[in-house]
Amino acid sequence: MGRVGATLKWLLLIWMLVVIWAAFLWVPSAQGFKGESSRIVFFHVPTAWVATLAFLVSCIASVMYLRRRSPVDDHRAAVSAGLGLLFAILATVTGAIFARIMWGAYWNWDPRQTSITILLLIYAAYFALRGAVPDPEKRATLAAVYSILAFVTVPFLVFVVPRIYFSLHPDVVTNPDPDNRLDSAHALVLLASTMGFTGLYAWLYSVGSRIEAIRHRRRQEVL
Amino acid sequence: MSRWLAEVVAVAAKDLRAELRTRVALNALALFALTTLAAVSYTIGPFRLAEEDRPFLLAVLLWIVILFAALAGLDRSFVKEEESRTAPLLRLAAAPSVVWAGKLVYNLCLIVVLTAMLTPLFCVLMGFEVALPWRFAVLLAAGGLGLAVITTIIAAIIAQAMTRGALFSVLSLPLLLPLVIFLIQGTTAVSTGDLETYRNSLRAVLSMTGVMTIASAWLFPLVWRD
Amino acid sequence: MSDRISISFTGIAKRYDARVVFRSVSGEAGPGEALVITGPNGAGKSTLLAILCGLVRPTRGEVRHLGAGGEAIERDGWRRHLGVVAPSMALYDELTAIENLRFFARVRGLDRDDGALGGLLESVGLEPARRTPVRGFSTGMAQRLKIAQALLHDPAVLLLDEPSSNLDPAGQDWLEGRVRGLVEEGRTVVLATNDRREMEWGRRHVALAG
Repeated sequence: MGRVGATLKWLLLIWMLVVIWAAFLWVPSAQGFKGESSRIVFFHVPTAWVATLAFLVSCIASVMYLRRRSPVDDHRAAVSAGLGLLFAILATVTGAIFARIMWGAYWNWDPRQTSITILLLIYAAYFALRGAVPDPEKRATLAAVYSILAFVTVPFLVFVVPRIYFSLHPDVVTNPDPDNRLDSAHALVLLASTMGFTGLYAWLYSVGSRIEAIRHRRRQEVL
Repeated sequence: MSRWLAEVVAVAAKDLRAELRTRVALNALALFALTTLAAVSYTIGPFRLAEEDRPFLLAVLLWIVILFAALAGLDRSFVKEEESRTAPLLRLAAAPSVVWAGKLVYNLCLIVVLTAMLTPLFCVLMGFEVALPWRFAVLLAAGGLGLAVITTIIAAIIAQAMTRGALFSVLSLPLLLPLVIFLIQGTTAVSTGDLETYRNSLRAVLSMTGVMTIASAWLFPLVWRD
Repeated sequence: MSDRISISFTGIAKRYDARVVFRSVSGEAGPGEALVITGPNGAGKSTLLAILCGLVRPTRGEVRHLGAGGEAIERDGWRRHLGVVAPSMALYDELTAIENLRFFARVRGLDRDDGALGGLLESVGLEPARRTPVRGFSTGMAQRLKIAQALLHDPAVLLLDEPSSNLDPAGQDWLEGRVRGLVEEGRTVVLATNDRREMEWGRRHVALAG
């Protein structure tokens, strides 16, 4: 990693520290939420966003693998799926904490909770499949195919299922009622946090990809 | 085209003939379905549920029973080819699209037999009343096709892995869940006679089935040939 | 046989997770030639054969099937000119001998009536057992049926993995004569074996290290 990379890494650290400070100390507590519970939005929404982004990146890498048959694309898909799983767990946990405070239960199968559970199941299935195929070429193909199939299912989960069932999940970003939308200070911190988490994902992704590249090279040396 | 169809029929007929001689998959499906149905019927029966909850809860139970049975037997079509080591020669002889379509037809036959046997039994044992019987049949057919499409491609994937049995359910469930949610909603609607909800859920089932069919037809050759 | 086809493979390597099967194998076989692949148990003879027929993707290296004019044939088209016999490739247990052949003829889009299939069965000595399910076959009989299946579509290339194993001496003699005849007709044969007798079937040899 060059000097630009090192600088970016430090910038990311400072950025995240500022976001954490702003989320807890600068922004006033939002109206209509119990106590300080609204502050979790600054971590919940970005982690959920990154979980989705990581899934998307993994799928694009999978399509690339099926087109080019380069092991690098397979590694990218796996690394991004691993990060997606991590961030999906974080989003689930932060969501459950908020649900406990606001609605009195950690889990009530709200449609959003259902869809994140299925996303977690998909990730788990993806890694279960990878673990069960010893041939690297075959593993890469099967995992790529599964991740594309799962990706095709996601729109039905995200757009169709919640419309069928009533959801308690607050809709603070796209709500048509301006009173229920975020005020400008909240929006600013949420945006900054989302950018910070996206940067964090990009950094972890590049580290993960480089580790996989080294592993791959060592296996090639054995060959 | 007609030659392609003849080859597809050859694959499906071969599987059906072998299945009728051994009945491994049919027995697995039927026993799973009957055992679950017996358990559900014994513990809940026709009178245990409150009147207003009946359509929805019975719809849930019906699809759980069908899903259980499907997950028990629908992976056989591909797993058997790998376990009895017949898959390589099939790969060398048949076009991938022919194998996919043939196995899909075969799985569809199994599901049709299963639902045709199970659904009337379920309605009688559980006292499930259907206001729109013909539309219920259409919904069952659409759901069966969706189940067959998804389980066929997943079976093709897991047949090439090492721990097959558990993997089939683990990989299938996330993809089947949205479909089953739509089917439960539609089944509730045909029971209460809610035409609009029925149409919406049938549309959702069909569009998901359509999308999965296109994706499978494109992806299957990659799974099968690698 | 429609065409003369040659097979060449260069720098083939295959690895399963930690296990390296082979690092770099090359060879070729043209029409009218038999290539013999030898090597101790576990050296990867069967894996190499599976790579040559396109069933397994190599970790590195390239396999090419070339038509009469030297043009490379797409992997999807290989199945049309390949006949394969290998211990790891079985026929359908529940079906009878004739049903197996009928099935493979149909999925290959071949027009073969039962008379033609019966003749093929007769040539491998299985005519009396045509209505017996393969489940009831001895290993030698099953081997004969596998050979019949491989010859069904008159393939230009034959890939054989220890083809005379489990055959009685008369069967071995018959197979040797048949394979030598096919090579003389201009077919390409690749043979993986450790059997001293089978090794004599071809002049070119590729030895895999253990």
